[in-house]
Amino acid sequence: MQKKLMILAVIVVAIVVIASVAAVFLMRDNGGDENVVYYTTMAPSLMDSWLAENQTSAYIAWEPYASSALVAGTGRALLWTNEIMPHHPCCVVLGWTPFIESDLGGNVTGVNMTLRFLKAHIEATEWVNDALADKHSVEYNQLVDMAVGFTLRNASVVEEAFNHVSYGYEMNASFESALTQFTEMYIASNIVTNATLNLLGYDNSTEFVGDYVNDSYLAATTGIVPSPTILNPDDPIRLGYLAGDLHQMAQVVAMNKTSFGGTSLFEKYGLNVAKLTAFASGPAEMLAFKAGSVDIGYLGAPPAIQKRLNDRTDTVILAQANSEGSALIVSKNSDVHELKDLVGKTVATPGEGSIQHLLLKIALSREGIAFIKG
Amino acid sequence: MSKGKNPIDRFEKLLTTRWLQILLGCLSIIAFVALWVLASMYLEESGSDKAVFLPGPRTVADAFFDSFESLPGLSDPAIGYRVTMWDLILSSMGRFLSGFFVAFMLAFPLGLLMGSLKTVESLGRPIVEIFRPIPPLAWVPIFVLIFGAFWGPAGIVFLGAFFPILINVIFGVKSVDVTLIDAARTLGAKRSDIFLKVVVPATVPYLMTGVKIGLGVAWMCIVAAEFIGIQGGTGLGYWLSLSSMTYGLYPYTYAAMIMIAILSTLTTGLAGLLEQRFYKWSGMK
Repeated sequence: MQKKLMILAVIVVAIVVIASVAAVFLMRDNGGDENVVYYTTMAPSLMDSWLAENQTSAYIAWEPYASSALVAGTGRALLWTNEIMPHHPCCVVLGWTPFIESDLGGNVTGVNMTLRFLKAHIEATEWVNDALADKHSVEYNQLVDMAVGFTLRNASVVEEAFNHVSYGYEMNASFESALTQFTEMYIASNIVTNATLNLLGYDNSTEFVGDYVNDSYLAATTGIVPSPTILNPDDPIRLGYLAGDLHQMAQVVAMNKTSFGGTSLFEKYGLNVAKLTAFASGPAEMLAFKAGSVDIGYLGAPPAIQKRLNDRTDTVILAQANSEGSALIVSKNSDVHELKDLVGKTVATPGEGSIQHLLLKIALSREGIAFIKG
Repeated sequence: MSKGKNPIDRFEKLLTTRWLQILLGCLSIIAFVALWVLASMYLEESGSDKAVFLPGPRTVADAFFDSFESLPGLSDPAIGYRVTMWDLILSSMGRFLSGFFVAFMLAFPLGLLMGSLKTVESLGRPIVEIFRPIPPLAWVPIFVLIFGAFWGPAGIVFLGAFFPILINVIFGVKSVDVTLIDAARTLGAKRSDIFLKVVVPATVPYLMTGVKIGLGVAWMCIVAAEFIGIQGGTGLGYWLSLSSMTYGLYPYTYAAMIMIAILSTLTTGLAGLLEQRFYKWSGMK
């Protein structure tokens, strides 16, 4: 009798479990592959090998991880992100407001350090553009060497990648309108609410972006001259950046000593800058800003916007770092020739908060395709 | 003893014992909610940068109900695609139940064997003692990589539930009253009869203790295992991490936490109910 009851109980439990598991799988299948592209998230440095092993059908990533599959001959670009949104903003230089407002005595103020940082950023960006303009120059070779060291990809990958990124620091009206569009998208998908905007004192996204993007620091850098002494020997600026992101070459160049006669561009302007450990994603870097462990950082504009609003992370956009320069890569022999062919397949992205993810979602949305976690 | 028979006395008893308990229980919940409201209001009013991390109960309640309509970020309103809390629950429950079921089906018989046969115990003990001290969560990265999005987290649940059940069953078998076994033997019971009709039923209370502990551990496991959603599937743990770390939608994070509490209470409650049923039926209590 007891045995029978035990067996019965076990059978009941088994049926419940099997039914639930079956339900889960059935529901997933019934979800309909018709209008859905699946995504999975991972570090960009892993993406080309996952694609080569056919574990994903495509990936979207920043350079040089887009070009690494192109150069290896294992992948081809289905879509460059500038085809989704021409001249789209990408990485920016973000300042932590409490740092900018800090005062360590004398002329060692947050504002002074920020201006000097931006001056070095401008000079580094111009140096990059000059180097890229002449591929036979010494500077070009130096740039490639630096990029190889930073991204851990070989020279041919890096050189291909440079073809797809445009570097620039200025923030014009189209930059602001693109950021406004991103903000609007977040509002439309309920990731950010108008209530949050209002809470921070803004009536609409245009007003918010107008305030978040502050080009007055950039404008004030004209008066900055090189400094013979280091302003902040004991209080280095804590610099945040993303792992191996070629978009952020300006900070790599500005940190480099060997190519500039033993003194980095940051040091030229009297700054002691300490690089933090690379962040895996923009949202992760924004959490570090929130925790007060980053003073100035390079990261994508979308996570900066999202976390400024939802986390109220007290930051300001100081300059641009680059625009464009990400691509959707598929296997070379893949039967995917347009976005629609991706339906039912899985794409790897650097994370739900990244600009690559956002732009692909925009592109798929235009085709009426949902982009969901696979 | 006459006290309990008089209705007035009984009411008085309820008033002085149970009623007080109920009142205190309500008071403690009210005090908790009030403290929560005060803490979140204080953070907000004082302009603390930590205020976003502690939304008030009202905001969390709104997010909780909104979660069943549509989850921001996972849904795409532009083309009418919705993901809700139900999807997360299904995802997590599928992994949870699968992992727990396998753990139960293996740990119970194995525990019975190890408890009653010295050879099996000598063989099994060292292995168990090697693996038991390793926290199940330590296996998360490896399991997710090897077993994938479904069986990876389910495997962590398995580990979390397996050892509490196994250890309790072994202990249960060893705690069987020797006089019961002797009595059965005197009455001419065969070895298999003693095992099935004396040892196994006597082990059930210990099994249920193991199950209840295992359920608690398993819920901790599933949430943490889903944090690493390298590939495939959603789940409550995935949403916990996404809604907070990536999106900063903290009210939704708390809403998911409440859902986990509800599910955990439900499963443990169900186990408790089964246990009571068994006691009633076997006349143990």
